[in-house]
Amino acid sequence: MAGTGIAEFSLEGHWASESDGQGHAVFNAEGIRCANCARSIRTGLDALPGVTSTEVNVVNGRVSVTWKSGRISLGTILRTIAGLGFRPVPLAGDAAAAARRDERRGAIKRIGLAGLGSMQVMMYAAGLYTGAFQGIDPQIAEFLKLTCLLIATPVLLYSGAPILRGALHDLRRRTLGMDVTVSLALLLAFTASVYNTLRGAGEVYFDSVTMFIFFLLLGRWFEMKGRHQAASVTDALARALPASASRLDPDTGAVAQLPLAEVRIGDRLRVGSGQVIPVDGRVLSATALLDEALVSGESVAQRRVAGEALLGGSVNAGAALELEVTAAPHQSTLHALVRMLEHAQSQRPRLGLAAERMASWFIVRILLLTAAVGLAWMFVDPSRAFPAVLAVLVATCPCALSLATPVAIAAATSRLARLGVLVTRSDAIEGLAQVDTVLLDKTGTLTSGAARLLGAHTAAGLDAATALAIAAALEESSRHPLAAAFMPHARADLRCADAHEMAGRGVEGEVQGRRWRVGGPQFAAGLAPAGTVPPAALSDGLAGATLALGDESGLQAIFRISDELRPEAPAMVRELAALGLDLQLASGDRPEPVAQVARTLGLPRFEAQLRPEAKLALLRRLQQDGHQVLMIGDGINDGPVLAAADVSMAMGNGSSIAHAAGDLVLLRETLGVLPQAIGIARRTLVIVRQNLRWAAVYNLAAIPLAALGLMPPWVAAIGMSLSSLFVVLNARRIIGTGAAAPAEPGAAGPIDAARPLPYGARA
Amino acid sequence: MTSIYLLVPLSLVLVAVAVWAFFWAVNRGQFEDLDEPARSVLEED
Repeated sequence: MAGTGIAEFSLEGHWASESDGQGHAVFNAEGIRCANCARSIRTGLDALPGVTSTEVNVVNGRVSVTWKSGRISLGTILRTIAGLGFRPVPLAGDAAAAARRDERRGAIKRIGLAGLGSMQVMMYAAGLYTGAFQGIDPQIAEFLKLTCLLIATPVLLYSGAPILRGALHDLRRRTLGMDVTVSLALLLAFTASVYNTLRGAGEVYFDSVTMFIFFLLLGRWFEMKGRHQAASVTDALARALPASASRLDPDTGAVAQLPLAEVRIGDRLRVGSGQVIPVDGRVLSATALLDEALVSGESVAQRRVAGEALLGGSVNAGAALELEVTAAPHQSTLHALVRMLEHAQSQRPRLGLAAERMASWFIVRILLLTAAVGLAWMFVDPSRAFPAVLAVLVATCPCALSLATPVAIAAATSRLARLGVLVTRSDAIEGLAQVDTVLLDKTGTLTSGAARLLGAHTAAGLDAATALAIAAALEESSRHPLAAAFMPHARADLRCADAHEMAGRGVEGEVQGRRWRVGGPQFAAGLAPAGTVPPAALSDGLAGATLALGDESGLQAIFRISDELRPEAPAMVRELAALGLDLQLASGDRPEPVAQVARTLGLPRFEAQLRPEAKLALLRRLQQDGHQVLMIGDGINDGPVLAAADVSMAMGNGSSIAHAAGDLVLLRETLGVLPQAIGIARRTLVIVRQNLRWAAVYNLAAIPLAALGLMPPWVAAIGMSLSSLFVVLNARRIIGTGAAAPAEPGAAGPIDAARPLPYGARA
Repeated sequence: MTSIYLLVPLSLVLVAVAVWAFFWAVNRGQFEDLDEPARSVLEED
């Protein structure tokens, strides 16, 4: 089994990429069942020269590797994993879907056989139990035991194969996992039963063996369902892109079909009506109508005119259009999104790590305890030693303990994705649940990014059109939300070659031989020698944000740019306050507009004219006072502040989603989902704690009962399985919550549209 | 009580048939989608 599937890999897909001498790949490894499997992959890969980091997620079986190009090849890494006994399979696309289908079918068959088998064995066992009290012909008893043996053997060997194989892997790697104690119990019970059947005396445990396997498989089934569901979310995104594109020959105008991987930057493509835009590009046709539901979640079709950007993955809702490719297929926004999502899903949260360590610590103790119990019973009553040992082994299986956190986090991640909130760091959910203060940026966050020029005032000797064109040249490469206001005024003859952006302050560069600065008035005036008084004529009473243009002799122009509040912002602020959160506005803008926004929203605390360093200082101050701070920004200009916050959320807008640096990224430009997201995070934390408490209580309660011989092995099997099942089903409540509640308009997540009815919606 | 020697093997045969039928159904993809077929009956084309 190991080793197959590697041939299907190539570097074309979105799941692996190499750039700047660094390679990065995310894929699934089949056969990861426990913390130890993950650990052995990590240590195995980290030992390879050239591998810089490895992350393995137990719940979704995802491996994320980074390596130095040239020092090691992806093939070697995959072969190493196969050598450890795991089967690497690509994440998205047909191969992954087929791998998941086979895994699902195999699991159903194993559960089916174990279920039918344990029912049958139980029936014969009932006969044997009644026989033990009412008397039974020893010959018939012997016959029934043989029949049980006949059924239990295929159940153990076929249905129990993954468990036994897992234990074998663990032993080969000299580690101890859950599979080891479980297999030990199964094999002990089975061989003792076979031995007793053949010699015609003593207890048989075929019923316990088959039932234990059945319940264990049932627990793993639900875990697998969750894992597949998380994968289907990313698959829906990855599958949205077509495999081929129609390229226009620039000379002849002839259309030729070619594989998507061969599309190059600068190619002209034709996209028919109703077809999916295959790559990021620029519209060449006069107008275009686009349905971007999948990429941005925006449900209303968007109109684009020639020259405007198109996102790969959106659907052409209008007439056939032509576009010019601006990004290589594997660097398109959609692929960046998928990669981000997969990277996050392959990280292991802090919470999970602690539970895993606890579980492996537990297993060593269980084995010691089992030996002690067996020894003690040998002196008290040797005939009861064996059932007691079995019961302890079965009842103490820390399955529930090691599942408690990862299943809940996985469920919450996919629930948030449906809301349109991407989790890009696995600790983000825990952080979001514990937040008590929210720091909000204004421009591009509370206000919409659609900036519009309201007016321009220039100093003598400079006309407004030229001033705007210079500003446009400087701001051309800037991603600041307000920069867009200048773009319609750009002129071909005014270009800036060395534009240098200072985050949160402005841009400096040379246009037509003169140095200019555009940005906040103070920054723009900075080129002139100190003491140069800004022209008084430039100040006015217009509303909106102020940007200024300055050169070495002082301020030359002042621009007013509209900066309108998002319609959903007031409701969001109210709901967040209702959740008990403390909100603060921190903006780099002038005090008047900031105060106005704060007044409209009812925010008592706001600070204006903060440079990024000052925002960082404000954040640090809040953190020093013991606050857990969520910072919300546009993700591009607030980079350092976002990184320093306990949790950060970036507004993903259009093509910049891929560059947004936040623990959480809002896929759609709507703040309305934030209160809901915090609600989900808090609920997740509650469920994680419930799960951990339940698992610990169960294990602690079961041990003395089993050790004292008060719990027969089959009761232990039911108890252990129910506790795992409880944990998994409890976590699934996260996916289910709110699914039945009336959704707000357009609240259906971007991914929802493309995937089948979520599993949890039935619950 | 000798009927047991006939009935028990018979039950084994029945279980074997049930397991075979179940495996056949799984391999044919009968359990892949439990929601859509039920709804598709109600849809016109």
